[in-house]
Amino acid sequence: VLDRGAERRQWAAMVRARQAGAVDQLVAAARDADGAVTRCLHWLGVLRHVERLVRHAGGPRPSEEVARHRAGLEAAADEAWSHVAAAGMAVIAQARSRLGLRVAVIGKGGTGKSFVSATLARLLARRGRPVLAVDFDTNPGLAFSLGVPPTLGVLPDDALMQHPGAAYGWGLGDGLAPAAIVDRHAVAAPDGVRLVTVGKIGGADKDAARKTIAAVRELAGAFGEPDWDVVGDLEAGPTTPFERYHAFADRALVVVSPTWVSAMTARRLLPMVDDVEALVVGNQFRDEPDHAGLEPLGRIPWDADVAEAERRGRSPLDHCPDSPAVAAVARLADALTRQEVMR
Amino acid sequence: MKVAVTGKGGSGKTLVAGALVRHLAARGHRVVAVDADPNPNLGIALGVPAGQVEVMASILTALIASGHTHDQPMPDPDELVARYGITVADGVALVATGKIERPTDACLCCGSHTTTRRFFGELPAVGRIVVADLEAGLNDLIWARPAADDVVLVVAEPSAKSVEIATRAVGVARELGVRRVLAVANRDRDGEHAARLAQATAIPTLGVPDDPAVTTADHRGVAPFDAAPASPAMVAVGVVADTLLGVPV
Repeated sequence: VLDRGAERRQWAAMVRARQAGAVDQLVAAARDADGAVTRCLHWLGVLRHVERLVRHAGGPRPSEEVARHRAGLEAAADEAWSHVAAAGMAVIAQARSRLGLRVAVIGKGGTGKSFVSATLARLLARRGRPVLAVDFDTNPGLAFSLGVPPTLGVLPDDALMQHPGAAYGWGLGDGLAPAAIVDRHAVAAPDGVRLVTVGKIGGADKDAARKTIAAVRELAGAFGEPDWDVVGDLEAGPTTPFERYHAFADRALVVVSPTWVSAMTARRLLPMVDDVEALVVGNQFRDEPDHAGLEPLGRIPWDADVAEAERRGRSPLDHCPDSPAVAAVARLADALTRQEVMR
Repeated sequence: MKVAVTGKGGSGKTLVAGALVRHLAARGHRVVAVDADPNPNLGIALGVPAGQVEVMASILTALIASGHTHDQPMPDPDELVARYGITVADGVALVATGKIERPTDACLCCGSHTTTRRFFGELPAVGRIVVADLEAGLNDLIWARPAADDVVLVVAEPSAKSVEIATRAVGVARELGVRRVLAVANRDRDGEHAARLAQATAIPTLGVPDDPAVTTADHRGVAPFDAAPASPAMVAVGVVADTLLGVPV
């Protein structure tokens, strides 16, 4: 067994340095922001972003490197907090309504994670919010639900770099800021949603999946634009939350269907995402009762039109925009934005 | 014979794998059922009470709990079956490779994937049939690395996503050198899905009909093979078993 510990630590330090650089840019943007509400929005964004990075940076064995990084983050948070505290309640309330949601969608395969992710992303975008959809699944799915060809939105080689300490030997290149990478490489999906995806297994590029997994995670984690909603669709099952793919998010949506196993899966997943706010979403329900102990924030009904959209590989928002299931996701979007303001 | 069951999440891998195992056992074969999903639930499809499935040890978690580290050689696969497997209906041995639960500081760096590869690869298949229900998606198929003589069973339900992933699974299996690859069109209605899947994958395809008895069993968390053995879906998986065994159908 090769000891790759030193290389891994070196790469982790580079990732943290990039995160810190991104925070510096967010702070600079906040200092330059025009207007009381926009300025407050930026500082709230800095606070929220720092909170996420600190929450996920330590791990079981925090190193000196982490501590140094943490001190810088806390200085940024202190500055942000002083600005937010000086803003009036009315300004804070307006700024909060524009603060982006950061949501990771998890659950058993086939429960409708991609449908929920894509429909939520497009409906948020229709409200005029900038939205980044992130596909963390090495199997095709989210693109169908969004309505874009499944081969688009994969980070190209010039956004990546090889490093022996990165997962599968590849990570995010360090030439560009996260927002610039999104600007340059995210594909434009319907309603103005921007999509970034990991490469898919079994396609023409044999290395696409393993080259881009770490990079997409690093990008989502470092991307801190305050007004952007970020919706991440995670690969089915427990491996991705176990590996903390949800670290970019403030909330995890755990999707369940009426099946017993989907509820068992949700009960297994919930403790894995206890570092963020976890919310259950029921999908494909007819008249079945909720699963015991899994009170859902939203209930999306079983919908023959959505099933037909899935069969055809079309976005439900294009195939059946007036369907009850789409209406239920719109209510979910309402609930999530309302909760964000209340937080 | 060793069979690896793959496909998109929610396509019915576990349903097909569980019923296939029961059919093979009912025909007198010794069967080892391998739950390679880090979210293990094959036991339910085999008729094991849900509470027992939830407390079942997996090879990975049991080895870690016993102080095993990845520097040590893994015990003989048959010994692992004897140690951590349970005997379920019709004498089937069920063993789970790696259950992933709450984040811990324990060494899971090798993950369930490595355990699956070593266990599935090294478990002798002479005089018995090994059926592995893999994790959703194609990553675990690459990790399981079925051999040329193994069978890959690709399950898809009627969604375009599921058919796309099935098509890719066939490509991955071919690249691994697997000669026998069979598609199962689950939740088929009037043969339409089976025809589409056969066309997309260009491999032999068997249909399993959309079946309310399976839906009911799924909602209750019980094995459709026990709840409705004569239902159209269970009979259709019997045809899959016979096809694998080379019995004319």
